[in-house]
Amino acid sequence: MATNPMHQFNVYRIGPEIKLGQIDISFTNASLFMVISSITILLVFNLGSKKNSLIPNKMQLLAELSYTFISKMISDTAGSKAKPYFSFIFSIFMFVLFCNMFGMIPYSFTVTSHIIVTFVLASFIFIGVTIIGFIKHGLGYLKLFVPSGVPLVLMPLIVVIEIISYLSRPISLSVRLFANMMAGHTMMKVFGGFVISLGIVGGWLPLSFSVALTGLEILVAFLQAYVFAILTCIYLNDALNLHH
Amino acid sequence: MPKNSFKIRLKIAKNKLSRKNLYKNKQSPSSIGTAFKMSTELVSAVVVGTIIGFILDKTFGTKPWLILIFFFVGVVAGILNVFKSAKKMQK
Repeated sequence: MATNPMHQFNVYRIGPEIKLGQIDISFTNASLFMVISSITILLVFNLGSKKNSLIPNKMQLLAELSYTFISKMISDTAGSKAKPYFSFIFSIFMFVLFCNMFGMIPYSFTVTSHIIVTFVLASFIFIGVTIIGFIKHGLGYLKLFVPSGVPLVLMPLIVVIEIISYLSRPISLSVRLFANMMAGHTMMKVFGGFVISLGIVGGWLPLSFSVALTGLEILVAFLQAYVFAILTCIYLNDALNLHH
Repeated sequence: MPKNSFKIRLKIAKNKLSRKNLYKNKQSPSSIGTAFKMSTELVSAVVVGTIIGFILDKTFGTKPWLILIFFFVGVVAGILNVFKSAKKMQK
């Protein structure tokens, strides 16, 4: 079982099979870990904001630190206009971060190492940002595809290129998170397999490597959540402050 | 008036903080993040271009041509993506 490095990404059903028409909506291990991370987020931030003392305890400190971290990130990248969308970006960041971090626990399942999960997140962001752009600017939002100072002959080509570049946003957003998580976890599993197969004599080198890799993976888990959130801010900034 | 003086002190402290942030902004810890970012920008535009070409080919029945054209347009869009994010980094 442990020899196949891709085995950890298997999705299997937990409990009874539930069908909605043709679609299988049974509860899987992926949904279990999503539920676990959402509940953990809720617990952490409920406990953190329950007792607002002047001298914070650890939970409150954690909640306040993450609050200021995200709010500073939003005001740095998207300006003060993006303040109403704080809760959305905060929940996106926390969800991705907790899913990534829960994936680091041995024998657990990394939700974000599946492209469909990250793609759904990214496409929700993409569609939402596009709707916000059209609400704020009306049809003037289409100016995003028409850069100023382009000769009329090149215009059709440039517009097509800009549209493709705009449409590539959700794909680059989702593929980045998915590829980083999947590659990292596969690599960790492969090095873990080396430890077993080389035994007590030669296993020490891959063991030390996999310890270092675990540290790197925790860094990547945080960083990818950060990049995911900061790119959401950047796209939101494009939609809110339209100047090309 | 102890309450009032506290408000003034709070204002001064907040002002200081916002000024500090302005300078700190230049060295954000996200430089590895932007490095990760650039790599996928290029590829994703090519993928999107190819998919659009594939769909248009199917609808118009011009089998190999539109996918070829849109592949190269996608490459151009990818390079444009990288350019844009590089420009954003410099700001």
